[in-house]
Amino acid sequence: MVIERILIFLLALVGFSAIVGAKNIIKKVFGLNLLNSAIVLLYILEGSRIGEQAPILGEGVTNIVDPVPQALMLTAIVIGVCVTALALALAVRLYKATGSLEIDTISARLHSEQ
Amino acid sequence: MSSESLFLSPVYLPLLSAAGILFIKSFCPTSIKRIAEYLGILIGLVLPLLLVLRLYPIVQNQGYIETTIGGYAQHIGIIYRFDGMSLLLILLAAAITLPAWIFSRNEGPGHSYFTALLLIQNASIAAIGMAADLFNLFVCLELMGVTAYVLIATGKKANAAYASFSYLMLSSSAMVFFLLGTFGLYNLTGSLRYEAIAMGLETLSGRNQYVAHFSLLLIIVPVLLRVAVMPLSLWLVDAHSKAPHAVSALLSGVLLKVPLFALIRIFSLSPFASSLALPISYAGAVTALVGVLLALSQSDAKQLLAYHSISQIGYIVSAWGLALHAGVTTMTGSLLLSASFFHAFSHAQFKALLFLTIGKTTDAAGNRNVYTFRGANQALRNVGERVPLTMLCFLVGALSISALPPFNGFYSKTLVTYTLKGSLHYTFLTLASVGTVASFIKLSRIFLPSKQPMVLPAVKEKNRFPVSSHLAFILLALSCLAVGLFSEQMILFITRLISSEEAQTYGSSFFFTQDNLIKTTLTVLSGIVLFALAVSRPGKYVLHLLEKRRGGFTDLFLGFATALGALALFAW
Repeated sequence: MVIERILIFLLALVGFSAIVGAKNIIKKVFGLNLLNSAIVLLYILEGSRIGEQAPILGEGVTNIVDPVPQALMLTAIVIGVCVTALALALAVRLYKATGSLEIDTISARLHSEQ
Repeated sequence: MSSESLFLSPVYLPLLSAAGILFIKSFCPTSIKRIAEYLGILIGLVLPLLLVLRLYPIVQNQGYIETTIGGYAQHIGIIYRFDGMSLLLILLAAAITLPAWIFSRNEGPGHSYFTALLLIQNASIAAIGMAADLFNLFVCLELMGVTAYVLIATGKKANAAYASFSYLMLSSSAMVFFLLGTFGLYNLTGSLRYEAIAMGLETLSGRNQYVAHFSLLLIIVPVLLRVAVMPLSLWLVDAHSKAPHAVSALLSGVLLKVPLFALIRIFSLSPFASSLALPISYAGAVTALVGVLLALSQSDAKQLLAYHSISQIGYIVSAWGLALHAGVTTMTGSLLLSASFFHAFSHAQFKALLFLTIGKTTDAAGNRNVYTFRGANQALRNVGERVPLTMLCFLVGALSISALPPFNGFYSKTLVTYTLKGSLHYTFLTLASVGTVASFIKLSRIFLPSKQPMVLPAVKEKNRFPVSSHLAFILLALSCLAVGLFSEQMILFITRLISSEEAQTYGSSFFFTQDNLIKTTLTVLSGIVLFALAVSRPGKYVLHLLEKRRGGFTDLFLGFATALGALALFAW
């Protein structure tokens, strides 16, 4: 359990450092996805602590995992996909306008246009 | 109709109308498209408001109404709870969305997608107001956020896309922390509903308590990010000044306040959270002052207004924070909270008015620099305005924000400062109101006649000044005046919805005391002095230094980390 948690923490850290540190805006979007995935994994991991089987109730199914985190994360993944799609669309627009994907170049070129 | 279906109407009617508009846009000819938009706004925005207002007596008597969506069992279904605050938030959203939409018809973006987005946004705001569990709150906040990102990006220039992208990255990463906080509380208490969490938190002990506190922090800070309290406000200026004017009005008027008032329920979860309200209210007071100083230093008209939004949010947050610190159910607390909401409502009206009028004026002249732009009326006549209504409406907004009677800003600011009397906040806010007067004198100068001959952008056809824009201005200006004139009833309306106790009335004898009038006069006079200082040579130099300071993308996250760290340190 401890190892999984450390790995999830590292995943989140990689994601966050990409969002803040990477210059390329596509990489920033990837970072956001990694951060999202880390939190999804965390929920699923903790939900699985109390059982082993998938929470689809039927004959002979006992010892199920906590279904609530799975339901929540399904929604969170959907939201993540929407945000990613929108961010990529914005990235395309920024690239068309400035001819660059580097955040500093974009910012400088937009600023000089004013 | 049962009261359950009545109070869900602000969520499903806008969503239904939005779907209808998009469907008709895709499959029907253009003429029907326009009718569909009008019908959509009528059914999705106006109708739910009227339906919800009918619930006012029930909310006042019972406190709240509750229902589980889809008839699921209580412990697995999504519960919506309609109370006074939900009603107020729905009213706030509709009161600004309608004029902004009318303005957008002819000034852009004004297409079917825009109307549909506005409706979806209103549905999400209503849902935020009614959410009774943490995860539902998360989903609705994200939905509101996504509509905001798209609305900002509808601006024609690529600047708008950059502002939208920065806001999206910051806000979405912050919301991941919100989920982490939710996870912490769920792990400890096994529930997501507010009451169940509050009950679960009471029985905690030892190390678990620290985890609970940290989880609460992780939930509060991302929501405050949307409210733009300093140091979380760095994203705001770009987003608000680069967006289309109608969107700026909405962002400043509505989207800053909804998360703030939705947070109240989270603060009521644990006594620990309400101790955090105090530092937040101090941050609000500082925000009010620093925001107005930065506003005074701006040369871009819309950026000036955007910094003013930060400053006014400071007013609202300081009253709000003290209200939560005192306890929302206490007499002082409910008065503070009512004052805070009243100012939020007034601010929404006059700031929307200012954004729309300034937006229209600067577009007409093709110049946004307050130092060089003069003769705004000439520019407006050039695009076909016959009566200088835009200037008159702008003046109404400027007088409101400078807190002069008889406009709404005077009543709401006086009530806020009255409730804060004797605290450190009071000093900060009084100083900030001097700065507000000064910066609005600076902004109003664009309406002075121009000395040099103006170079105006060529207008292709002498098209008439769109009636819809005037309609939007007048609607907002009149509502500023009406809320001012009927402030007594308005305050009573708000306090009755916020607290169950019998509310005190605040009539004109409360506002027009000698002290208040002297204070207002002094504020205006010192505002004039400050303005004179600001346009003097050393003043200009200092302000120019302030304006040069620009934050980059990474600074946004630095602000977030600072806020989280500072609150954690305070809690520890």
